[in-house]
This record gives sequence, C-alpha cells and structure tokens, in this order.
Amino acid sequence: MLSPATARKDTGRPTRSRQIQQGVRERLAPYAYIAPFFLLFFIFGLFPLLFTFYIALFDWNPIGERSYVGLKNFSDLVDDPRFWGALRNTFSIWVLSTVPQLLIALGMAHVLNHVRLRAATLFRMSMLVPYVTSVAATTIVFAQLFDRDYGMLNWLLGLLGFEHIDFTASPWGSHFMIAVMVAWRWTGYNTLLYLASLQAVPRDLYEAAAVDGANGWKQFRHITVPSLRPIIVFTVITSTIGGLQIFTEPLLANPVGGLTCGAARQCQTLTLFLYEQAFGRFHFGYGAAIGVALFVLVVIISAINYLLVTRIRSERP
Amino acid sequence: MLTFVNVGVILTIAEAAAVDDHRMEGRLKRVVTTATAVAAAAMILTAGCTPGSGGSGSSDPNTFEFWSFTGINQQASVDAYTSDHPDIDVKLTEVGDTSETAQALTAALAGGKVPDLVLIQGDDMPKFMQAPENFVDLTTLGADQMTGDYLDWVISQSTTEDGRVIGIPTDVGGMAIAYRTDLFAAAGLPTDRDEVSDLWPTWDAFMDVGKQYVAATGKPFLDNTPTSIFFQAVNQGSERYYDANRELSYDKNPQVKEAFDLTLRMYEAGISGRIASWTPGWTAGMSKGDFAVMSAPSWMLNAIKTNAPDSVGKWDVATIPGGSGNWGGSYLAIPARAKNPAAAWDYIATMQSPEGQLAHFLEHGALPTTPSVYTDPQLLAKTDPFFSDAPIGQIYTESVVNIEPFYIGPDDATIGTELLNTLTSVEQGQVEPDEAWDTALTNVRNALRG
Repeated sequence: MLSPATARKDTGRPTRSRQIQQGVRERLAPYAYIAPFFLLFFIFGLFPLLFTFYIALFDWNPIGERSYVGLKNFSDLVDDPRFWGALRNTFSIWVLSTVPQLLIALGMAHVLNHVRLRAATLFRMSMLVPYVTSVAATTIVFAQLFDRDYGMLNWLLGLLGFEHIDFTASPWGSHFMIAVMVAWRWTGYNTLLYLASLQAVPRDLYEAAAVDGANGWKQFRHITVPSLRPIIVFTVITSTIGGLQIFTEPLLANPVGGLTCGAARQCQTLTLFLYEQAFGRFHFGYGAAIGVALFVLVVIISAINYLLVTRIRSERP
Repeated sequence: MLTFVNVGVILTIAEAAAVDDHRMEGRLKRVVTTATAVAAAAMILTAGCTPGSGGSGSSDPNTFEFWSFTGINQQASVDAYTSDHPDIDVKLTEVGDTSETAQALTAALAGGKVPDLVLIQGDDMPKFMQAPENFVDLTTLGADQMTGDYLDWVISQSTTEDGRVIGIPTDVGGMAIAYRTDLFAAAGLPTDRDEVSDLWPTWDAFMDVGKQYVAATGKPFLDNTPTSIFFQAVNQGSERYYDANRELSYDKNPQVKEAFDLTLRMYEAGISGRIASWTPGWTAGMSKGDFAVMSAPSWMLNAIKTNAPDSVGKWDVATIPGGSGNWGGSYLAIPARAKNPAAAWDYIATMQSPEGQLAHFLEHGALPTTPSVYTDPQLLAKTDPFFSDAPIGQIYTESVVNIEPFYIGPDDATIGTELLNTLTSVEQGQVEPDEAWDTALTNVRNALRG
C-alpha cells in the first residue's frame, strides 16, 4: 500500500494517487472480508489438523510421558480388529440411514411441491423440527422407545404376540436403531433442499406433462428427478461425510458400554472409537492415528464423489 | 480436524456442483456459512467445557475449588466442614460420573486450570499414580502423621514406591448382597437376614437358591451376572489382574478364570434377568421387583435409594457368599498446580480423620477406611431403615477387615471393563459361553495394545 508520504509528494496529480489508493484498497478489501474465516480456520482447522499428524507419531500420554514411535500407531491400527469393526459399523449405519433418508426426502419434496397443497408453509416448516431438536434429546428418547423391557416398540411387538427384541444387543439391531435416529433428524433437512431446487423447475413443464397425460409417478420420474440431479449429488456427498462422522447417536444410544456403544462394540463408529482411545483411555497418539485414517478415508470418498460430480456435469445438455 | 474436513469438502463440492447452476449458488453459500458457524461454535464449546473455570480470585486463602463426582454426596461433607469453618468458602463442582471426573482432571492436568482438591475413584487412581509429579506429595503437608490411621492396603495404593502420598482414602467398598424381602417371601424363601445369609455360604449354594426362586416364581433371581457375580467374585481373591511382582497375570491367574467360569455357570443356570447394570431397564426393574437380589458394595446402597425410592422397606442386606472383598472406594488429592493447597489440606485433615469418616458414615453410609472406628459402638449400632434396619456398619466392616489385599495396576480398569463386557455379550446372546474366555482374552489384549 502507498505510504502517506508518497501520497503527499504526488500533490501534483492528487486524483490519480487517490485512484491508485482506491484501486489498491478495492483489491485488498475482499481479502479483508474473508480474513476472519481464514483466521479461524488456521487456528481451529489447519493447526489442529497438522498437529494431529504430529501427535500420531508418538506414544502420547497427556499427563505423563511421550515418546516418538514412528509409524507404530498406524501398524497397530491395521492389526486392530476394533478399528475394522468400527469401520464396518460406520459404513453399515451410513448405508442404513442415508438410502431411505434420501428416498423419503425425494418423495416428500415432490408432494410438498404440489400446487394444490393446502397450508404448504406449515408442512414445509415442520420438516425442520427434527433438525432443530437437540441430538442428545432425540437420542435419549429413541433409546427409550427401543428399550428391551419397557420400550414402546417392544410393547407393541408384545401386543402383536411377538418376542421382545433387544435392539441394542445385536449389531443389526443397534445399527438399525441409530440409522432411524439419523434418518429422522436429516430427512426433513434434505426434503427442504430438494424442495427449494424443485421450486425453480418451471411449472409449465408439469402442466405440459399433465396435458400430455403423464400421471404423478411419470411426472416424478421424468421431471422431478432429472431436474434435481445436481442437488441429489450434493446431498449424497454431504450425508456421506456426515455419516462417516456419526458420534452423538452411538455415544448415547446404547446404555451398555458407554464409549464402546455396547459390550461387544457392536455399534461403535470410527469417531467414537477415536474418542474412546484419545479421551477415554488417553492414548492421544493412537487416537490421532485413527483421526488421520478417518481423514484419508474422507479424502478418498470425496475424490470419488468429485469424479462422479464432474461426470454428471459434463453429461448435462 | 474432522470439522475442517467437513467444511473443506463442502467447499469443493459447492464449487463443483454449483458453478454452472446459479439457482443453487445462494443455497450452497448458506450451507457453507452455516457449516463454518457450526464448526466454530463446536470448537468454542469444546474448548470451554472444562468444568469449574470460574477463574476469579482463587488466590484468596479462604477459598478453594473442589471437584467431585456425582452420586457420592460430597456436598454433605462440605456443608459439615463449612459449618465449623464459616470463614472458608468451598467451591464444589460435581463434574460428572467417576470416569468423566477423571477425564476432566486429566485434561486439566495436561494444561488447564486445576482444582485445589479433587476426588478420584479407586480404579482411576493407578493411572494418576503413573505421573505422581502432577500432585502434591501430601506427606509434605502432614500426611505422614496420618497414614497409619488407614487400612494398609488402601493407603498403599496411593503411595509411590519412594514414599510419596498423593491421595488420602475417603471410603472403601465392602461387599454384600441386597435382596427383596417381599419377593423372597412370595417364593417361599426365608426373609430374615441371618437365615438368608446362612442359605448361601458359597456361590454354588447361592446358585441353588436362585434356581429354587426361579422354579417357584418363574421370574429372574438376580439383575445380571457380569456385575453382580463377576465383579464381586473377582474381588474376593488374593490376587487380581497383577501378581505379587506387579506383573500382568490376568490370563494366568486361576482366581480370575474361576470367577469368570462361575459367572458363566450362573448365566447357564438361567437365574439372571440379563438386565445390564446402570441401564434404564435396571433402575426400572429395581423398583418394579424384576429381580430379587443384586450386588451391594457399600456405595450401592445409595444408588438403590436414589433409583428406587418407592421400594423403601422392601430391601434387606445379607452377607456375600465366598468371603470378604472390596470393590471401589475413592481418594482425595491435591494437584501440584493448585492455588490454595493449604486450605485443601486442612479440609482433608479434618474430614478424613477417623472421627471425620465415622461422622460421614453415620450420616451417609460410605464405609470408613480407618479401622480404628470399626469397633466404635456408634458404627456397630448403625442401621438403615431403607433396608429393613439392616446393621450396615457391622455387615460391611466384617467384609473388609479380613481382606487379602492385592496390587491394583494401571491397566486394572481396562482389563476389568473388557472382561465384564465380554460376559455382558454372553448374556445378550452375542458370544457363546464356551468361547467367552478366549474372546475375553483377545479383547483384553487388543485393549492393552491400543
């Protein structure tokens, strides 16, 4: 930037110097506007990220000794069945929650976009209620619904003459239970994303289709879905990232085991395993190694997603 | 770090998916902004959740900060102390359960604001003993005058090999069995506590009573086997997971295997309600009478009263099969960076003297660690109306005086948890009983490696 002294020397052509000053300011202004984000990002994002890589090379006890162990934490991780179990659980919960969630959201968005829907705003707004409810509160309520002895779901099963199911005990039961919680929370949010996108689809397309005799399903199949393609890809990606990081639900869903989500770690996700190792057992180095593994995983999946997105974009007319 | 990934990836996607789609741009911007805001908020929350960071004038010599865990009613002790010392201001924070308190303490020791006084549960103590320099050596404050007052094997667990004392024991967990007199009567079993104690001199006799009860009522006899059988039986041995040389021996010690096999036999006898401890179903079952007996280390009595207040008068306490043992107990420690160790020490010296522990027992029932009061007539006369006037002073002191102390090492808590979890998996039908021991050893080995 120009110093005031330089500016004063230029008194002969004051307008030009002011122009230069203004130009510099205009060029710098955008950086100043985005600076707060990057400042926070460096402190809370980049620094912890790099420091995590560093800690992962140590046997790091926060209140005791730390010793450099090289890549031992990573080789231990590869040999650790608990890690692979957590990875399996994470993917299983992710698939069980994401697929139905997005399908239901798609259907609901189509219904909510209907011209003749009464009290549309009410229905649309109510979609967000699960999203703004505290995850912890949701989880605790759902855990009670699924309880083996006194849960409402098992009470209904009992009325119908079935045996009670101990949802939290088995892998599939606990995954199902957590997937329901996740889907309940995010379906409305995704519905609104789809709906917002749908509103930009010209009405006359639907009208023309109706005139041509296309029924609701055909309209959905041939107008709604194709016009939503970009946002569908977007929601798939965001819910993938979210799904890989599910934490609160497995932490609170299973009354047995706490940080392991069950006595046999049947619903312990990667983030919960990380938390257990780092902050339950204070193996910071091992916890950091899990964090790095998760990071690599997210990068790989994002790269795959990125390729898919680019392909879809180039396919568009 | 995870949050960074989230924001970063969303940015990439926003770029990729929306660049040629102007309709989407505004929305994606909003998503990104929201994600950033959420990320920042989460970071701030995480950073700010160290408890008790009131932070103002803690250098005031008449004020000290005290971290405790919930469910042990330290407020009562603090009130008793401040009524005799009205000029002292004790800032008590109940951080969370025992392990949450230990976690918060670890975080604070690693670089946060530490309290002046902290309560540490016995199983968490060995971890802190590995880095004793984080705590004030209490012998420098006068603990050397007091160590003789406590049970040898209890104070030895908070004494380093070179003689530093980093914790003063507040209570021990003598063991017993709590049973429902109403359910015993309905099953045609005796209800008098001496007769009930005579029913089960051994664990096998206990199992026979259980089978009798199930045959008579069709309902489960005890809450679950992992907590009520294994955690009691394994604490009755002369060694647990370490041998006398302080080497790991959990996989070789026949006493551990015996306790484990005993637990499996109890499960196979079909007397367990398979309701894991500390779950909502467990507390509900306690009031509803879903099971007739449960393990009752001395601190458990408080948990029963709190969780099933309407079952008052329906419980009684009998002696435990298989002899004496200890489960639990806590210590008071002063972190090295405490601002006001003198005030904290005065609190310890006053409240944890034999008289102080006796007074606390008479009010709230935590069993003293000072054997000199075990013959005190007040202690022996102490009965609890909630438990049909059972003489709890007598029952619990008997279970700890003849104890054979064993070494508790830094990995005891981890090993105990893994063994318990495997037995819980057996009860939940996820592990076959005949594979349980091998599974348990594998789980312990994985846990010790990580």
